[in-house]
Amino acid sequence: MTRRFLTMTSAVALTAGLLAGAAAAQTVVTMNTVQIFGTIDPAKISDYTDYMAAVNLYDGLVTVDGAGNLVPQLAESWVVSDDAKEVVFTLRADATFSDGSPVQASDVIYSFERLLRIAQGPSNLFAGVVEPGAVVAVDDLTVRFTLSKTFAPFMATIPALMILNAEVVEANLGEDDGQTYLSANVAGSGAYLLDSWDRGSRMIVKRNPDYYGGFGENPIDEVRWIVTNDEATVRALAASGELTMTSQFQSPETYDALVAMGRFRMESQATATGFYLKLNSRVAPTDDIHVRRAIALATDYDTIREVIFPGEPMSTPLPAAFAQFFADDVPAPVYDLAAAQAEIDQSAYAGQPIPVTLGYVAGATFEEEISLLMQANLEQLGFVVTQQPDPWNRITEIAADVATTPNVNQIFFGPTYPSPDSMFFTQYHSDAAGTWASMEWLQDPEVDAMIDAARATGDVAEQAEIYKDLQRNLVEQMVSVPLLAQTVQHAMDNCLTGFVAVPMQSFDYDFTRYSWTC
Amino acid sequence: MEFLAFLLRRIMWSLLVLFGLSVVIFTIARVVPGDPARMALGPSASADQVAALQEALGLNAPMWEQYIRFLSGLTQGDLGRSLLTEQSVTVDIAKTFPATLELVLCTILLAFVTGVPLGVAAARWKDRWPDNLVRAIAIGSAVVPSFFLALLLQILAGYVLQILPTTGRLPAGMRFDADITGLLVIDSVLHGRFDVLGEALRHLLLPATALAAATMGQIARITRASMIDVSRQDYIEAARAFGIPDRVRLFKYSLRPAFVPPLTILGLEFASLIGGAFVVELIFSWPGMAAYGVRAITQKDLNAIMGVVMVSGVFFVMVNLVIDLLVGIVDPRVRIRGTRA
Amino acid sequence: MSEPVVPQEALSNAWQNWYRFSRNPTAVIGALIVILCVSMAILAPYITPYPEHVGSFVDFRNRHQPPSALHWFGTDNVGRDILTRVIYGLRVSLILAVVVLGIAIPVGTILGLMAGYYGGWTEIIIMRITDIALAIPPLVMALAVAAVLSPSLINSMLAISALWWTWHTRLIYSITRQLRSQEFVEAAETLGASKAHILFREILPNCVSAIAVKTSLDAGFVILIGAALSFLGLGIQPPTPDLGTMVADGASYLPDFWWESMLPGSAILFLALGFNLLGDGLRDLFDVEDVR
Repeated sequence: MTRRFLTMTSAVALTAGLLAGAAAAQTVVTMNTVQIFGTIDPAKISDYTDYMAAVNLYDGLVTVDGAGNLVPQLAESWVVSDDAKEVVFTLRADATFSDGSPVQASDVIYSFERLLRIAQGPSNLFAGVVEPGAVVAVDDLTVRFTLSKTFAPFMATIPALMILNAEVVEANLGEDDGQTYLSANVAGSGAYLLDSWDRGSRMIVKRNPDYYGGFGENPIDEVRWIVTNDEATVRALAASGELTMTSQFQSPETYDALVAMGRFRMESQATATGFYLKLNSRVAPTDDIHVRRAIALATDYDTIREVIFPGEPMSTPLPAAFAQFFADDVPAPVYDLAAAQAEIDQSAYAGQPIPVTLGYVAGATFEEEISLLMQANLEQLGFVVTQQPDPWNRITEIAADVATTPNVNQIFFGPTYPSPDSMFFTQYHSDAAGTWASMEWLQDPEVDAMIDAARATGDVAEQAEIYKDLQRNLVEQMVSVPLLAQTVQHAMDNCLTGFVAVPMQSFDYDFTRYSWTC
Repeated sequence: MEFLAFLLRRIMWSLLVLFGLSVVIFTIARVVPGDPARMALGPSASADQVAALQEALGLNAPMWEQYIRFLSGLTQGDLGRSLLTEQSVTVDIAKTFPATLELVLCTILLAFVTGVPLGVAAARWKDRWPDNLVRAIAIGSAVVPSFFLALLLQILAGYVLQILPTTGRLPAGMRFDADITGLLVIDSVLHGRFDVLGEALRHLLLPATALAAATMGQIARITRASMIDVSRQDYIEAARAFGIPDRVRLFKYSLRPAFVPPLTILGLEFASLIGGAFVVELIFSWPGMAAYGVRAITQKDLNAIMGVVMVSGVFFVMVNLVIDLLVGIVDPRVRIRGTRA
Repeated sequence: MSEPVVPQEALSNAWQNWYRFSRNPTAVIGALIVILCVSMAILAPYITPYPEHVGSFVDFRNRHQPPSALHWFGTDNVGRDILTRVIYGLRVSLILAVVVLGIAIPVGTILGLMAGYYGGWTEIIIMRITDIALAIPPLVMALAVAAVLSPSLINSMLAISALWWTWHTRLIYSITRQLRSQEFVEAAETLGASKAHILFREILPNCVSAIAVKTSLDAGFVILIGAALSFLGLGIQPPTPDLGTMVADGASYLPDFWWESMLPGSAILFLALGFNLLGDGLRDLFDVEDVR
């Protein structure tokens, strides 16, 4: 009798304890990132780290899923006019900002106008497409965008417009349109709230329990980002139990070590991000098409993909993930030193030592390894190689001038919005010259015309034809050597699920999509 | 009165040194290729915007005018804006300096606490095995590269034995704001958070040891030398003749005067401590000013680099000033002579 | 701190010095280490097993190999033999030391001689500048200079030399000051010898032993600072091997592939140790105090 009683009470106590424990336990995900967060102001975000924070702190009218489809977020539906020059969004009636106030059309207009005023970050996606004043409120929950010309990728760019709480920003305008306020505070409707931000080293965000969009099962309560690119630190944090998920840029040795610890698994997914050798087509010797083809033939693709940095083979500047628009009749580049030598012999520089500079990001071990591999092969062909590692902010600076851009540059480029236009315009159009994404300095009127034509038509089949021709043209000129389509890799705690690669900036780090299964 | 004169002289001297340092830093900063205005605005800025900023920063003024501007900015605590964090360098340094200060103070304490007893032991058993052992330790610690020792400690204590943490000041989950002095060890006690104190000390141990090694060796050496010097003095002989026991003779009569040279050495060692901090903070991911400086260097964040160099220099000069004053108080000969040397 | 004692032993007493030197075991060890490293550095192309690994060689199938009969020090992340690269790295370190001291010693000596002998404004200006420069932590200054210039071996050498001459200036200055009032100098002055003669033929020879000691000790420290600079990424560019850079690169793979950073690091330690022991031995030999 007594024994049964004791067993029952202990069982009850245990269960109560477990329940209480479960109620109190917070799910915390700690992730490392290799760059610091530059800004959290939605009008100024520009790289994948900035977006990683922004997609959690702010919501847009729509968001993007793994297949590149648009998913309603603040807008519950939208209608595109037949000529594709007008879009009307209907906002959710229950959408609220983190302070409880409702999200209205006026907030959308305010966010858009401010974005264009400040002219940084994602503003270049809309400049020239939607003029200031062309966004109007039909009523409190309906907003209309009127385009100044047909721009096929417009809908794909909308996720980049993050909606600000106009009242809050106007109350803290200061002298700079609220930039000072928004550089340290959040005025948005995102699922997570900014808890603390130590610029150089970490950011912590906490789940907003009143988030209008609700959460799935076992949501992540807190996300901590720790800024470090030091492999040893990542290993130490993983070993001590403090790390839940790595960045996508760790070395293969680090991933192996973490998996060996038992707690982690490798999460590898194909992406639409390409890794290129961008060849400066305006500076000797890469101004000679034979030299460019020789470099492409002197690249050991297999070793790079299998040993140094994982990825899928890529044959044109457009990753195969864009299935509809992909030119599958173009053969993939091969590694053939004899053919490379034949190309050199046809070039203007045959018979002499050819000086060439190889640029890469200083501190990125795998890029250094690729550069050394290139050097070993190129020197066999008579090139005189100079290595030029630079920190990233210096690379963006030298990319602004054709004379300072190195001959060969290792650059990752992923779609800034889920449309092939993003891959072509930013890298190859003359209007986009002078950035780290366009170090080829192509400036070819024929290419420009093709890109513009594809933008001006709403017919998908027509777009596909144009893009395929464009790919064949670019491969013929070989201004970008396509090394691989990045296989994004993370070492992730076995209890964490939900990562699906999204072909747009860092929308795959929206933590509302993740859950903790333990 | 003479002490006052001494004090004034030392302060004037320090100011002169700081002035010279500012000239050096300014010269270096202006030698750099590249346009500070363009670097600050980024590649997408228009030519007009760049020209406007150049005007605003006074980059078109003659050199001496730029220097005056630089100097007046310095005295007001304006060190420019960091390229990376886009905040004032002064703010960045103010946030990271306490971590470095705590590390350096802990290092000095450790170096003294280990170095002096070793030196005393070496002097006590001169020319016997403890003396040789201490000498070996002193030489060994002087030649070992600081980064090598740091890595070695990290492997041994962090991975092989797994007894001590190897990154940061506190575990990632522990939240604590050192809002009173900025020093975790003191603030945690003031707040009564002894768990934080424990973790802070555990995290301090490895980096402080890596940094303290070379200094410890020097302190041991100097202590030994000055103990031997002092023990040769007549009054020590007299004490022995009078039958005063060894231990009393050692501690009461020998040790105190022998303390001056180690203190003096500290001033010189401080230079290598600051230098070593750059490497040690990097390896142990210590969120201090030196780690900030290293990041600034690799990213070519010019204002931040110059800010860190300036602050290091100021720190160094002030520490030496304090040491000079301390030594001046203890040893009257120094006051008269005018320098520590 | 007392003034440095002027050494009475002239270098011409070679045999006597040699005998005393060889009785000091640590000094001999130091000398042997230095001789060994210098010879290895000079003979590098002939004694290293894989001299081609120093240039643009890659062998990814062979990366991260532990020490074995084929590769005594193992291979690095690109498949290159570490032993070969360490020996060539010694070259770089020694060249750095030679160049830096080659600049610092003459400049420092001349300035010290002038300041110590002429006195007056010359002395004041030179010594005040020296004292200001001495007040700046050397690694910090070297970092600042190397940081703003592009990373390369030459710029590292420049950065370190920029401050290093000051130590020598101060040393020579103290010695010169003392000697100035000695009889043999007065005698030379009365005989009408030129200033140059007095400085270089009378005073300088008495400084030589102090210079020798300081040079030897300095070589070790210059090498350590150079290694720290390249550890932070400011040294010679890849693929040329450099000990500090190798430690930095290898550090990412600790503790599994420990040989990639620990062995080059030990080489730095070894070389610095050699110079330090040698310098200590010379100091004991010439009985020069206060040379740090």
